[in-house]
Amino acid sequence: MLELKNLSRHFGGVKAVDQLELTVRKGEILGLIGPNGSGKSTTVNLITGVYQPSAGSVQFKGQDISALPPHRRTELGLARTFQNIRLFGQLTVWQNLWAARVVREAGWAGFRERWLSGAKAAREQAEELLVFGDLAHKRDMLAANLAFGEQRRLELIRAAASGAELLLLDEPAAGMNAEEIQDLDSRIRRLRDQGRTILLIEHHMELVMEVCDRVAVLNFGRKIAEGTPAEVQQDAQVRAAYLGTDEPATA
Amino acid sequence: MDFYLGLAQVIGIHTLLGLSAWCVLHTGQVSLAQGGFFAIGAYAAGMLTSMWGWPLAAALATGALMAAAVAVAVGFPALRVKGLMLVVATTAFAEIVRLFFFNLQWRVQTPAGPVGPDGSLGFGGIRYFPSNGWTTLQVCILIWVLVAAVMFMLWWLDRSRVGTVWRAVGEDELAAQSAGINLTAAKVSAFGIGGGIAGLAGGVFAHYATHIEHSNFSILLATFAIAYPIIGGLSSLAGTLLAVIFIQGFLTEGLRFIGDWRSLLFGVLIVVVMLVRPSGFLNRSLGRSLGLGRATATPQTGDATRGASTHA
Repeated sequence: MLELKNLSRHFGGVKAVDQLELTVRKGEILGLIGPNGSGKSTTVNLITGVYQPSAGSVQFKGQDISALPPHRRTELGLARTFQNIRLFGQLTVWQNLWAARVVREAGWAGFRERWLSGAKAAREQAEELLVFGDLAHKRDMLAANLAFGEQRRLELIRAAASGAELLLLDEPAAGMNAEEIQDLDSRIRRLRDQGRTILLIEHHMELVMEVCDRVAVLNFGRKIAEGTPAEVQQDAQVRAAYLGTDEPATA
Repeated sequence: MDFYLGLAQVIGIHTLLGLSAWCVLHTGQVSLAQGGFFAIGAYAAGMLTSMWGWPLAAALATGALMAAAVAVAVGFPALRVKGLMLVVATTAFAEIVRLFFFNLQWRVQTPAGPVGPDGSLGFGGIRYFPSNGWTTLQVCILIWVLVAAVMFMLWWLDRSRVGTVWRAVGEDELAAQSAGINLTAAKVSAFGIGGGIAGLAGGVFAHYATHIEHSNFSILLATFAIAYPIIGGLSSLAGTLLAVIFIQGFLTEGLRFIGDWRSLLFGVLIVVVMLVRPSGFLNRSLGRSLGLGRATATPQTGDATRGASTHA
């Protein structure tokens, strides 16, 4: 579904992401972990088009999307959430979803979606997502006035509202308590069960080990390990990266 | 009576101008180019009726379309700059337009004598209304029919996905892009539609005034244009209308006895609104209690500040 080929991004002399090879398979939940500053966020920004790669390419569904602007990538079916929630605060919950619905129809159907109130099917989809996010009763509230956990859920369903096949979740558990993380865990699984593929960038190890099918580990911008959660936990380089040694790990 | 009809005409024209800025402000862009689009519509429509005898409706529509086309052309480079730099860029554009008309000389012979823009002397003889026997009341009705039509169109637009997308872009450009919103399309469409409305307002103004000149389209006009929606609030169209009535009806006309001190009050008003009600006098909660807004508003909670912490 998503392939990173020899992907690199350098900031001056700093190799934030260095020759990264990574494949996300359709229908899986892939975890991307690594210590602070290991290049996770840069990777997300390269995949979504916020940054341009210094070298290498991003392939999505067999197409090279390295040069496409962010909104084109979302149109193709790749959506993200943000580590530091970025909702449309002065829009209602419903409007947040409605703005994020990508109009792919052409001709009259597209005109109706853009300029009129939209087709019934499209509104029903958004309603279903509201129910999925437990936000149906708050549909007319301004996003800025939601509680923290609700804002996280709204970001999640806003990403799904674009019709994305691949969701990039950038530290969705940040700031959450144990109960909220449990809830997030089940929501991520349900999103996958609805046929979506998920790339989970996360600090919270318990969640990653619990929910992911496979895990890739970054350190110093390079991938140092990849495999099932159990395999990765046993990996000597991963242990070194997390527990800290003087010797930088090499792939 | 004529005084009030004249005032109603001015309020109508300025409401159109304010609505044009309302469109652009929705996408988070502060444009001082609205006066320039207004000037383009004024000169184009005025020239078409007075120099070539076009019917009024066709001239107004053409003026609006020309202003919209220029606005789209300006909208593309304007995408590259934001905030203060956009203010500077659009101000420069408005000055270019003003100086263009300051220099434009294009006179043609008509049965009533030579007509057309005459450089710094201005452009007189836009006498469509008097020579077709329109009364002040009829002109006033025409203006307010146009205001109503534009307001209905914008109200409709605001309910559609396009309006939601404009607001989303104004809220957070990066989030909007990531949600699949084409920033270029959103900003340029807002610029184009706003430019068209300003051009329409300009065309009406030219025929209302019968004589226009470059100084009508100074930076003060653009300041008024963005002040209306800022003071009235972006959450509803009625806010812009109320702001125009307040500024033109009360501040400019009602306080005529204090003379030029009025312009100072205008500045004071903007500062006060920014301090006291940054989202405009008619913000969501007031609008809702008056039955105007749609969104539910409750006081800001502190919860959004959570989330900076991460579990390592």
